[in-house]
Amino acid sequence: MIGKRLRFETSHSTEFVDITDRLRDEVHRSGLKIGRVHLQSLHTTVGLAINENEPLLIRDFESLLERLAPVGASYQHDDFARRIDVALDEPVNGHAHCRQILLTGFATLLVEDGELVLGRWQSVFAVELDGPRHRELALQLDGEFGTSSLSPSGEQSVVPSSMRLAHRARERGEERRTEAGLAPELVELELSRQLLVDPEPVSAPMRRLVEAGGKRLRPKLVQLTAGIGPRSEPLRAAALAAAVELLHNATLIHDDYVDESTHRRGRPTVAAAEGPERAVAVGDYYFAKATRLIAEIGNRSVTSTIAEALEAVCASQIDDVALRGAYPGDRDSYLRVVRGKTAALFAAACASGALLSEAGPEIVDALRRYGDLLGVAFQMADDMVDFSPSSGKPVGLDIRQRVLSLPLIYAAEDRTVGPEVRRLLAGSLGDAEVGRVAELVTISGALTRVRGEAEALVDAAVHELETIELDGLRPTLISLARSAVDRIA
Amino acid sequence: MAIQVVERDLERLHQLWEDGLSEAYRSYLEAVDGFEPSAQPRLALAAALVEVGVRLQGLGGRAAAPPSLLMGDLCLARASRLLADAAPQSIQVAFARAIEEMSSAAAAEQTAPHTRELLLRAFEAR
Repeated sequence: MIGKRLRFETSHSTEFVDITDRLRDEVHRSGLKIGRVHLQSLHTTVGLAINENEPLLIRDFESLLERLAPVGASYQHDDFARRIDVALDEPVNGHAHCRQILLTGFATLLVEDGELVLGRWQSVFAVELDGPRHRELALQLDGEFGTSSLSPSGEQSVVPSSMRLAHRARERGEERRTEAGLAPELVELELSRQLLVDPEPVSAPMRRLVEAGGKRLRPKLVQLTAGIGPRSEPLRAAALAAAVELLHNATLIHDDYVDESTHRRGRPTVAAAEGPERAVAVGDYYFAKATRLIAEIGNRSVTSTIAEALEAVCASQIDDVALRGAYPGDRDSYLRVVRGKTAALFAAACASGALLSEAGPEIVDALRRYGDLLGVAFQMADDMVDFSPSSGKPVGLDIRQRVLSLPLIYAAEDRTVGPEVRRLLAGSLGDAEVGRVAELVTISGALTRVRGEAEALVDAAVHELETIELDGLRPTLISLARSAVDRIA
Repeated sequence: MAIQVVERDLERLHQLWEDGLSEAYRSYLEAVDGFEPSAQPRLALAAALVEVGVRLQGLGGRAAAPPSLLMGDLCLARASRLLADAAPQSIQVAFARAIEEMSSAAAAEQTAPHTRELLLRAFEAR
């Protein structure tokens, strides 16, 4: 049995905080193979819920709670004249307590094959009802454990134990290393450590974005490829991986302002929550900080690789916005933008990890090509998610925001539905128009075509790995590439 | 000679070069006098790009409209690449710290030191 506490900060009075990825990380880190995760709220105004992380649905939940227990209704709990021993800072929060009993304060989740057992659209939420505050959940994991990065006492001693694990694995001559053996907690710790020392006006918005989850694909690629060459140092790899993640998030903060996005990862964007001025400043701060952290690693090839990728990202973002004048554009323009905007950082993550480990140039080049192909496939998969009703994002958001999208390009070029798609896109896009465009994209077969292309790109990415020596990493890199398009299967 | 070297690094930025980037560039040439001659133009351009970039973004003032912000982002990214290619580590770090100082002040709605002062000071870090 392992006992832990899951701590987080909320930023709104009512907030659905998706903790699924953090729970998954805890399961991976513990080595729990089959068993249960028990979760308990330690507060009377924080509930738990398992449901779909879809921004509009979350607004529905919030509206429901407001209807059932409105703020400002007459709660006896808020009548301090009648209560005994009322603390000076006692909040007026009868509504929050009443809402909490409509939810649950505890949950048990099953674990099988080392993974949380959750339905495809299920996410686990801690529901803040009286925020913003610091919050804490109690967590117990019990069952059968395999290899873990926790000490036998259950106490985390992340750095030494992960390094010991890596060392033991090498001693045993284990060839095949897995994603689970990456010590992702090193990256999370490094991210937390970096955010801890930053000024609050910049760290608070970035912390919210980082803690909201994300796939962490780029840091995973850095960590994996940093284990390939003769100089494998998990701590340096984690520092680079965390910096790459910060850089990626910095670009997202500016992108969200440019795209007028209101939500990311189920939370309000920095621009929407705190205004564009703060978004510009936070993006700049973490752009600069990430480049500094990378420079401080002291490997000039790594610094140049990431800097070149960042330049490609920014240049492509300009092209992307410019192309919106001829929306939805064409395939060639799409590929040019995506290779810069998304694939460049994937490729740089792969190459920089390998460079850090002092892998040979042929390995670095092959991994760079692998990352480039994977990045394009990943973006195509992401485009398709926009047409999935159960993706966690509102259907047609890309259409509404006129974001470059390959399925839309193909639908607009289709002989049958193309004229109507183009006519709709040329006008103003309300709910009805967006819905109709999404329908036409599905009818046109564009989604099948894009899926085929994404899968072919993944095959090509895997092919890049065939001729190089990867010290047992090939299966993991293949699996990671396949998972990039699996989400659209 | 210096201008010729810089030309290769001005892709997509020619209009900016006409609109004040060249002036900022020249103002930094003196500060890079002690560096390797081949690195001097790129270092001066990096500083000029940071100065012009944060101004385009509206950092510390009213946020710029998206096209201007994105051009500012490209300026910062180009500067970062130039420094990665031509500057010693200490200068790369000092430039990053200068931007951190400006942006954290902007986020806190405080007045930041003048950009040019910060960048000239960054050149002293080598």
